[in-house]
Formats: sequence, C-alpha cells, structure tokens
Amino acid sequence: MKVIEAQAAVLTNYEVLQHLSQQKNLYKLRKRRGPPNLETVVRELIQYLQSHPNPLSQKPSTYTPNCISQLLERLSPYELSKGEVVMILNLRPASVAALNTVIEEMAERFSDEQQEEMVNIILEVLGQFEASEPNANGNADDAADDVNAS
Amino acid sequence: MFILTKFSDLVQISPEDFSKHSIVAIEDNINAKYANKVVQKIGLCISLYDVLWTSEGLIGHGTGLVNVNVEFRMIVFRPFKGEVMLGRIRSSTPSGIHLRTDFFDDIFVPYEELPQGAEYNHSEQIWIWNFDEERLFYDNHEMVRFQVIDEEWHDQTPAGPTAAEDTPAKTPYKIKGSMAAEGLGVCLWWDGA
Repeated sequence: MKVIEAQAAVLTNYEVLQHLSQQKNLYKLRKRRGPPNLETVVRELIQYLQSHPNPLSQKPSTYTPNCISQLLERLSPYELSKGEVVMILNLRPASVAALNTVIEEMAERFSDEQQEEMVNIILEVLGQFEASEPNANGNADDAADDVNAS
Repeated sequence: MFILTKFSDLVQISPEDFSKHSIVAIEDNINAKYANKVVQKIGLCISLYDVLWTSEGLIGHGTGLVNVNVEFRMIVFRPFKGEVMLGRIRSSTPSGIHLRTDFFDDIFVPYEELPQGAEYNHSEQIWIWNFDEERLFYDNHEMVRFQVIDEEWHDQTPAGPTAAEDTPAKTPYKIKGSMAAEGLGVCLWWDGA
C-alpha cells in the first residue's frame, strides 16, 4: 500500500451519502453483496447521516446535487473558508447561535445584519426542519420547488 | 468530515474470483482490505470511491493469483481540527465524557473542555452544567455538538517480543473534542426553543 495523495479532495456528508446510496442500489441490482466489513461500516454510516438532527435525515431531502454550487455562489461575498462552508453544508446551522459555532470569530468578522443574511441564505438554499414557526411552510415550499426544478 | 485519499496498491485476485468481472473483483478486494479500517495518519477508510488506473493482470510463478497494480481513491473519515460535528454521549467519567457516532467510537471530551460550571455527579455518573441557576444534564445517548481539537494515532503493528504482552491495545485513531464554546453541547439546549 502506498499513499499517493493524503487529501485529494474534501467531501460533504451529502456527497458521501449520495455515493453510498448509489453503491447500495447497484449492489441490489446486481444481486450481490460487498465484503462484510464494507456492509457494516456503510450501514452504520448511513444510519448516522440519517438520524436527527442531521439535516440529511429530513424526508423528502432538501438537498439537491446543485445546491452545493448554489450555496458557494451565494456565500462568496462573505469570504468564508472552505472548512466553514463544508461545515455549513454538513450541519445546516439554522440560527445565528448555531452559525457562531461553525464560523471562527464571527462577531469580529461580520456585523449582525450580515450574520442574519447568512442564516437566511442557508435556509433558502438548504431548507430547514419543519418548525412550529409560521414562516416554516414558505421555506419548505421553496425547497420542494428546487427539487422539482432540478 | 470526509476526504478522498488517493492510494496505490497491489491487488491479488484469487482463481475463485475469476468468474467475476475484473473490475468487480478489484473493487471487492480493495473494500475487503480497507473498509472500516484505520490507516495511520490518514483516517478511517469507509469505501472505495473510484478506480483511477489499473495495470495488466500478471500471474507469478507458483500461484494462480492474478496481480494487478491499482490506483484508486477511498472515502476516508478524517474530521479536520476545528470541525464541528454531531455525536452521541456514550458514557461519562470524572475525567470527561466519551462520545460516539454510529460508525466511530473513539471520541473523548476531557473535563477541562467542558463549559465553566460543569460538575460531575458521582451518584448518577453524569456531568451536569450549572448555568444561570439551571441544571443541564449531559445524559447518556443524548445527541451533542462538539468541536474536534486534537487527534491521537497509535500504530498497532506488533512491536516485537520486547513489548510487554499484556499491555492493552490502544485504539488506532482517537479524536479529542471540546464542548466549551457557546452553541456546543447537547443539541436540545440550543435547537429546541
């Protein structure tokens, strides 16, 4: 075994889940199974990614293949680091407090309005859990439209 | 949380796998060797992502094995330092809280990385955070948000007869986390308004 490149790319949870579900379907289609160690880790990982409060647990999924590029484009004015965007995609922070854990020194880097704007962009692009708040329905509809459009 | 790592390795296909398509045999071989295993300083391998290149299959003397050199990319679990992720509380001790995810068990939050006002309750064996007169509990199986601050690697290759035999095996890859910052800790505290 030789490592050619320790880190060739970074994947978001969504991309990993996509790959694993595709692989699972392919195995089913061909009526065969992978090695037992693979089956174990894939089953456990899918379970982890689809348990609440992980955003990927939401059904129907609010994530679409082009939402990553869409989010990158919308957040580009804020000059977030790559790691920060990856965390936003993985955790989908739904409030300023949640965003604060993900973005380093947020209070110094961004004004209160900017922080609100970022939370709103995340809500629009990645959707949110159905909440008791009245505006939750509007956003859920937006997300559904995105799915239909793609 | 996940990265792609590019490896090259020699894959040996045994004759009973000749009925499979070559690519399927290679995939199975790689997954059997890597999936759910820790590679030192790389991370926990999850699954083959894609095969980039393979050599011709060569049969050596004496065995019927087909030898193929393969370059491929693996999906690897390797959270970066500073990354915030979700985990579940496994158990608590006076020295800190052990966390787990469904697929990875070795995450530890030492007591000095808990927020100010946290204390250990010996009779219940859980940590409690005293915040504004309120007592917030770090119950077992609770979903928490934590930040990765450090990682520890322990090579498990046998050290030879000099090493004492009864020393317990250390876990190959261990993550040290923190729940001291605002917004970290049990998810319900922050999300369920």
